[in-house]
Amino acid sequence: MIQVDKASLVYNDHGRDVYACRSIDLEVKDGEFLGILGPSGSGKSSLLYLMCGLKTPHEGQVLYRGRVVQAMDEQERASLRLNRFGFVFQYPYLLGYLSALENVLVAQPSGHRRAEAVALLESLGLGDKLHRLPHELSGGEKQRVCIARALLGGREVIFADEPTANLDHRNGVAVVETLVASRGTGSLVMVTHDPTMLEKADRVVTIADGELVQ
Amino acid sequence: MFLVRNAGKTLPLIGVIVLAVMLIAGIVAIMDSIPLSIRTTYGYSKAYLGVTPRGNNAMTPVLRTQIEQEAPVPLGPVMTCRASDCEVKSIVGPWRFVVLALSQEDMRTYLSRLGGGRVEGRWPSSGAPEAIVSEPVARNLGKRIGDTMLSPTDVNNFSPKPVKIVGIVHMQPWMALMPIEYHRKYHFPPIDLLIVMAKDIRDQDRLDRWAFERFKGQQARVFAYFELEKETDEMFRILYSILNVVIGMLVVVITLMMAMLMNIYQSQRIQEFGLLQALGYTRSILLKRVLAETALVVVGGWIIGLGVAFLALLIVRAVLMEPRAFMLDPGDFKAYSYTIPVPIAIFVAATFTVVQRFRRFDPVGVVERRLV
Repeated sequence: MIQVDKASLVYNDHGRDVYACRSIDLEVKDGEFLGILGPSGSGKSSLLYLMCGLKTPHEGQVLYRGRVVQAMDEQERASLRLNRFGFVFQYPYLLGYLSALENVLVAQPSGHRRAEAVALLESLGLGDKLHRLPHELSGGEKQRVCIARALLGGREVIFADEPTANLDHRNGVAVVETLVASRGTGSLVMVTHDPTMLEKADRVVTIADGELVQ
Repeated sequence: MFLVRNAGKTLPLIGVIVLAVMLIAGIVAIMDSIPLSIRTTYGYSKAYLGVTPRGNNAMTPVLRTQIEQEAPVPLGPVMTCRASDCEVKSIVGPWRFVVLALSQEDMRTYLSRLGGGRVEGRWPSSGAPEAIVSEPVARNLGKRIGDTMLSPTDVNNFSPKPVKIVGIVHMQPWMALMPIEYHRKYHFPPIDLLIVMAKDIRDQDRLDRWAFERFKGQQARVFAYFELEKETDEMFRILYSILNVVIGMLVVVITLMMAMLMNIYQSQRIQEFGLLQALGYTRSILLKRVLAETALVVVGGWIIGLGVAFLALLIVRAVLMEPRAFMLDPGDFKAYSYTIPVPIAIFVAATFTVVQRFRRFDPVGVVERRLV
């Protein structure tokens, strides 16, 4: 489904080119749970952002179902993220002035998916907190709202960037289990530095210094 | 939704715009009250043409004959009168106001020409040191029936004998009348003036303009409303030029301040914009949303500002102006039109800052917490 083809991403650090990702070849298959493991600063998040189209490779290309993502215009790439991909970020970003339910619905601005959003939140144990504002939720609850937001509308790929980094181990495991269980037929690409979070992954690749090492 | 649920952030922005609009509209309305006062205080001259001889008392009957024979419009009453004056108060200090001396019959004709009104008290008796004034004049002078209006000891409101107010006419135009017989006997200089009324008041302006041209350079002076208008406009032209500069600077200052506030306001939402863009909202959608919100704040603040300014001016008029018969128009269109640049300039400045911010915006920086 997603094909990373010799993709490199370069950052300019005070006039010096630094490779965040260097000539990476990787494929995400339909329905697969792909884990990307690596220490902090290894380039795993950069790889994730390349795959989802938030970053454009300086060399190589990323293809989504055979189409080169970087060749798409901004509108098309945005549409891809809005309608096909779901995101769970390291920090549980929610809009502070919206309730949990409204934060989930943000992911599908044009759809009428209120019932689905309610069902998702209920399935994630937040049925009694639909109308709570983010500051009234715990860290784990916020991350579950983010998961519901990522799942709303049945996404083809969920990209999770260190979703457990700010949670204790027990909550972290719970979040991963929720992601795995709730993704349906969609793929899951999860980046983490904690190998215990990838025990249920179909495949794990390791990245170090911007290069895949296995 | 953001605006409603973030009232703590939105209301101060609206508040600044409201205050700016109120300030500008207030300044202009107060400024406008001066020419408005001139036009109102001396508005009686709309109803007739005043002609006085220059340098030769004997010219009055000659002028009368010339007017009666040559006037381009059918004439109504042509009155011979005398004139004295008193001091009325205005927002910018004392002004001279004419006290016309007329015969008993002419007083009634004059009153009728000005639109008439209910007479409280009575008309001045022939030859007596008495006056009848309209209600705004009485209010401005703080006088009631029985009070002395002109006095031998008052240099600004002089008459050889104390002239008492015996009647007040409830009408809008400003007017003060006294008996011509008293004036002829006691007042100096002994100059007869002419009050010339067009038969149809709609022809008055034409008659006035004709007389102005007809007696130009001759031994006559013409008093006409259009001249008053012209002189008032000329008098205030420079003042309004200065006002334009002041208001322009005020708009610039307010706009810069609002642009900075808007920038801070939008900076506080950078996480929201980054998240939404990462989720798949395009820049143009976010930009449209932000600009729509900005427009709502700016236009809303402007409209509320207009309403608050109107209310404030109503209060100022009721509390400070009306008791002294000072003029102030809370519905002064010009005052409100001066505020139009405020929302436009703020919107343009806010749009510029937002567009600049979005141009350099990297959503990954936000979701990776590098920009927040």
